[in-house]
Amino acid sequence: MVLKHIRRARNKIAFIVRKIFKKRKDIKIGLYGPVNSGKTTLANRICLDWLGEEMGKISVIPHETREIQMKEKVTIKSNGKSLTFNLVDTPGIATKIDFEEFLKYGMKRKDAKTRAREATKGVIEAIKWLDKMDMVLVVLDSTKDPLDQVNITILGNLDARNIPFIIVANKVDLKTSKASRVREAFPNYEVIGISAKTGFNIEELYNALFRKL
Amino acid sequence: MGFKIKLVPYEKFKADGVKSFMKDLKEDTIILIDAKLSPEEEADIIEKTMKKVSEKFTGIELNSLDLSKQKDVVGRLKNLIIKVVTGKNQGLTIIGPAKIVRKIERNPKELLVYI
Repeated sequence: MVLKHIRRARNKIAFIVRKIFKKRKDIKIGLYGPVNSGKTTLANRICLDWLGEEMGKISVIPHETREIQMKEKVTIKSNGKSLTFNLVDTPGIATKIDFEEFLKYGMKRKDAKTRAREATKGVIEAIKWLDKMDMVLVVLDSTKDPLDQVNITILGNLDARNIPFIIVANKVDLKTSKASRVREAFPNYEVIGISAKTGFNIEELYNALFRKL
Repeated sequence: MGFKIKLVPYEKFKADGVKSFMKDLKEDTIILIDAKLSPEEEADIIEKTMKKVSEKFTGIELNSLDLSKQKDVVGRLKNLIIKVVTGKNQGLTIIGPAKIVRKIERNPKELLVYI
């Protein structure tokens, strides 16, 4: 109990110190979320919009992103203001990884096992990198149940570490999307519905970044 | 498929961490902890169990029930006292091996475990 309070206080102090001493160009914005929620698609959208190039490969097979990827010096502009940050795309957080799941996508057994091994390392890395973030975009698939435990754990950890975040309800272009369900699930947090794939409402997300940082 | 259920007191988890039930999880045992874990504790469990993922152990399903969120003042005060005295959040956490537990669904006041 006491240790927990000390840890939280330490995190708070560390966050404030980071904010004071960190140069603006060193700001790290992380993309976090469950597997296949569209984190890399959003990273690609941001990089295409502002750098003219994509950041990473996307796939329907889960755990395509298995390593932390960072694009440095991304500068976005809005209403005469500009914001420069390092964009960090992280592997999807999961509590279970079964190599047999990958076989369903036609992968060879050996490749599936390698992918599973790399994916577990990716999850561990993503959790470890959380403390390095100045801000996080929590990317959720708006066609799925927002109250999944992985989502709750990510949001709880950001809250406990005092890291500002925005919930991105992604895939609103799909017929089964229910961004309203995400808003109802997290009424105390800022939720922005977008389609990283089509770019729908992405301007609203950029404006939110300026408000948060 | 057979499985067991084991209650791990929060005090034991607090002292030994994931070690207090890792072996049980690998042996198809569902773990119940008599408290709602903190987000940091949950992240630690995910991290530590991910390190143990193999062909036989594919990870976990995890969910918690938070019984500390009371709307009335008396209830909140009671929970605060319990937390100060025992050091734990009132609630329940279920951690199951993913090979056995397909899903743990949480309604506001109950947890549903799908085997």
